[in-house]
Amino acid sequence: MKCAQVVRLFGAYWDDETTQAEREWVEAHLASCSSCHKEYEEFTRTLELVGSLPRVEPAPDLVERVLARARRSAPAADVVPVRSRPWVPVTAALALTVIAGSLALPWFGVRDDARRQTATRVTAGEPVRLGPVSENGAPALKAPAGVLPVPGHALVAAAGTANEPDSLFDHTEDVEFILDPVKVQRGRPTVARPPAVQGEKAVISF
Amino acid sequence: MARVAEDDERAFSELVRRFQGRVMNLVSRVLNDRECGDDITQEVFVRVFVHRRNYRRGSKFSTWLFTIAANLAKNEIRRRVRRRNWFSLNALQEVLKDSAIQLADPTEGKESRMEREQLQEAMGKAIATVPEKYRLALVLRDIDGLTYEEIAQVLGIPGGTVRSRINRARGMLKRKLIPLLRREGEP
Repeated sequence: MKCAQVVRLFGAYWDDETTQAEREWVEAHLASCSSCHKEYEEFTRTLELVGSLPRVEPAPDLVERVLARARRSAPAADVVPVRSRPWVPVTAALALTVIAGSLALPWFGVRDDARRQTATRVTAGEPVRLGPVSENGAPALKAPAGVLPVPGHALVAAAGTANEPDSLFDHTEDVEFILDPVKVQRGRPTVARPPAVQGEKAVISF
Repeated sequence: MARVAEDDERAFSELVRRFQGRVMNLVSRVLNDRECGDDITQEVFVRVFVHRRNYRRGSKFSTWLFTIAANLAKNEIRRRVRRRNWFSLNALQEVLKDSAIQLADPTEGKESRMEREQLQEAMGKAIATVPEKYRLALVLRDIDGLTYEEIAQVLGIPGGTVRSRINRARGMLKRKLIPLLRREGEP
């Protein structure tokens, strides 16, 4: 055990990094233990050989070659070192996937399903007009050509908060967006028949 | 270095002259390959020039320089390992055995130039068989004479790790050289 401890201190002893007490202890042990003494002799001989290796001198024309290459090299831009965060590329990849997916969904017919899921749900009561109202009380919005209007369902719904804005957003714009004529051009059914009114509630889908 | 950052070519030339020997020695000893050491030394200084404006004033230039050199040497070692273009341990043992026999031959004389060169060659190859992370610390300490603190900065590791790597590298090297050392010690 003592020999193993001394061998572990060989490096520090060689580098003169031991404490006074450690140095005296190592020296006392080396004086009394021939095995450790031999080990230390081999250790020091190894380091002497390493230290005595001749310097590898550079070729005389190295400076010229370096200068020639350096002249051809443009300086790198000043860089403020920034520690890279491993989650950034992952988050960026996820965001790109989501964006690409949302752009691709309409081309796979998911758009109509999504609209059905977000169908407007209003409670029964006073009729509410989902769009600018004309002077005679009829909805100003006209169904685009090719779209069969569904009387009493497509554009007018029953609600308890007639003509009262329930948020800061202009919902008339939303309605115009939902009645997108693109659906007609693509030949898909554009106006889904809403389910029949049950009790006091009606669900209207566009 | 401040003048180099301001595109002073003469200052850069002086810098290369001053440090080329240390860089060449470090890289060549780590790789045990003089030709490759020359190429990498050249690359080290070109990188110093290219990145001259990124050098932080106040930090020690030699530490920055050795960091670049150590990184390029590491890359080269890894490239060689990938290509498996590296001499085998058996080849090293053959060299060590031959060197030991040469040294043991009383007719040659221990101080002859040939023996010394063979011994140095064997030592160079023995160093090259020490694993990369230990080898770099060993060469920086026992050949280039950097302090433990400087090595810690160059390799970007704590001082305690530097000490332990150097100790392990020395132990490995001693074990590899034991046949040579024991024959050398024989009458």
